[in-house]
Amino acid sequence: MFKKILIANRGEIAIRIMRACRELGIKTVAVYSEADKNSQHVQFADEAILLGDAAPKDSYLNADKLIRAALDSKADAIHPGYGFLSENASFAAAVASAHLTFIGPSAASIRAMGDKAESKILMKKAGVPTVPGFEGLESFDEFKKAASEIGYPVLVKAAAGGGGKGMRVVNSENELSEAIESARREALNSFGDERLLIEKYLAEAHHIEIQVFGDKHGNLVHLFERECSVQRRHQKIIEESPSPLLTPELRARMGEAAVNAAKAVNYFNAGTVEFIFDPNPSSSLIPHPSSFYFLEMNTRLQVEHPVTELVTGLDLVHWQIRIAAGEKFPFTQDDIHQHGHAIECRVYAEDPATGFLPSTGKLLQFIEPRGPGIRVDSGFAAGDDVTHFYDPLLAKVIVHAENRETAIQRMQTALQDFIVHGVVTNIDYMRAVLETDDFKQGKVSTRWVEQNLESGSLFPQQQAVALHKLIAAALADVVFVGGKAQPAVSNETDPFNPWKQTGNYRN
Amino acid sequence: MKTTFDTHTIELNPSDDGYNAIINGKTVNVQIVRAANGCMDLLIDGQRITAYVSSDMAKRWVTVDGGTSMLTKTSGAKQGVRHDHAGGLIAPMPGQIRSVSVGVGDAVKKGQTLLTMEAMKMEIRIQALKDGVVKSVSVAQGQTVEREQILIEMED
Repeated sequence: MFKKILIANRGEIAIRIMRACRELGIKTVAVYSEADKNSQHVQFADEAILLGDAAPKDSYLNADKLIRAALDSKADAIHPGYGFLSENASFAAAVASAHLTFIGPSAASIRAMGDKAESKILMKKAGVPTVPGFEGLESFDEFKKAASEIGYPVLVKAAAGGGGKGMRVVNSENELSEAIESARREALNSFGDERLLIEKYLAEAHHIEIQVFGDKHGNLVHLFERECSVQRRHQKIIEESPSPLLTPELRARMGEAAVNAAKAVNYFNAGTVEFIFDPNPSSSLIPHPSSFYFLEMNTRLQVEHPVTELVTGLDLVHWQIRIAAGEKFPFTQDDIHQHGHAIECRVYAEDPATGFLPSTGKLLQFIEPRGPGIRVDSGFAAGDDVTHFYDPLLAKVIVHAENRETAIQRMQTALQDFIVHGVVTNIDYMRAVLETDDFKQGKVSTRWVEQNLESGSLFPQQQAVALHKLIAAALADVVFVGGKAQPAVSNETDPFNPWKQTGNYRN
Repeated sequence: MKTTFDTHTIELNPSDDGYNAIINGKTVNVQIVRAANGCMDLLIDGQRITAYVSSDMAKRWVTVDGGTSMLTKTSGAKQGVRHDHAGGLIAPMPGQIRSVSVGVGDAVKKGQTLLTMEAMKMEIRIQALKDGVVKSVSVAQGQTVEREQILIEMED
């Protein structure tokens, strides 16, 4: 087993990985940028190394500095977390060349799944259903022919892509030429690679992904699904497991397809196979009458991994570390079961009223919820600054309950108890989403947020509460002077004492 | 004491067992059960409310029942300032001058704090409404002032 691990990340995920290390008796090394020198993850680690300036390229994206930091601190492994360099094959290879262990899959697996066109061809060969479409086209005429064969609407997207960049929905032939041009430009700018692929666009699709896990001894299992359809700007905000849409048969088929996908690239460690799920598979997609299609594989730990941890009872980060150290799974697929229902809400410092623009500032209050079945993975505390340099994820609230209905109720109360002052968050927005019939009935597709934001129907008026807020705000100016409560205005030292009469005290 | 947040004005008056709050002509009874660290347990007309409040300059972050709002205080320090009073700054309510930070002839910037006063346990900052020069200072530290008394006069 490793003696010391460097965590090449920041925020909540760095802390979550450090917790696992501590539990396994492994020392931790944090890395940080100038902007993060007082951050929680730096405080949490056994030692911390400054990488450089706030800009990611000078800090968390700088492979040379990270490997140097690992060697200097005598760490034996690097955990990349998610984002930053976690899916960078060159980084994984460079870590191995430095005689350190990369806690993740092989560089070859990352490379194979990193290219959308290549991976799609690989998946077709492995018998994994893919969205009907074509790769390797060049001329406009080839695209035009392909589009009419698939049937509009179609999606053109960057082969090297991700995160919604270099992606265009095309509704009819007269939009095609311009969409190809602009997607190519964006792809070239974002990834230095202008290759595009074209496929059927599924408008009302759900996003369902399967967690897979492999050891280095050829054992590969899946840990069931996560439904992640509540998204804004192609980024997930609410995830859950099990999906309200899957039957046991579909679940088994998708799990098998995901394992086959991972096998095709000799995968080990934690990975996620993302599928587009069509709740109403249309006959137009024959000869591909599947209801799920391979979208991409994320060759790393996912933000939403706690949802799977709660329903399976397995600690994914523990297993990432143990597998990287060469351990074998003591279980097989048949030993793994889903228990109850888990939901995760991502608390972002962003303003839903301004199209989810990030909100920065100092956290004046940051009180996390707690209670039975509530887990909070957080990277911040009161007094911390939320800067514009990095992803505005403040914390993840994850609940576990015996069924979906109870899990939704539990999440409602957990979010209600989460107090964040100093930056605007999406907490109230997520509470409104959980309250909708669409969410309760599992009808939320990936475009739902976009469609419902336009109608503005998710911001309820709360007149009675507004009155209470005004009173509280006015009263606070009297009660809290210089940040301290003034005992003189607290009219009763023990309000629950039945022997004391209230009402006689004069202020 | 009157305070305005955004467009809502609320008046708080001490009562036998707490405060009477007047909003839109309606009076409600408010009792403070407990107050510490930006968190208050209140009884508002008998209803038990827990409120979290944080202040950042004129901003007030308030959470009640899990709903969070950001209010902007538009009175207090600025209340009672008459824009037609030849640049004069007047006391928004009766109180005591805590500090005076400028003297006659000083050039000041818009938003700069010129003096602070204390009233109803609140610290009130009297700030310059625009860039200018201090023409006269009519009060000194420790002095008690009446509502609408002229504190400082400014010229461009």
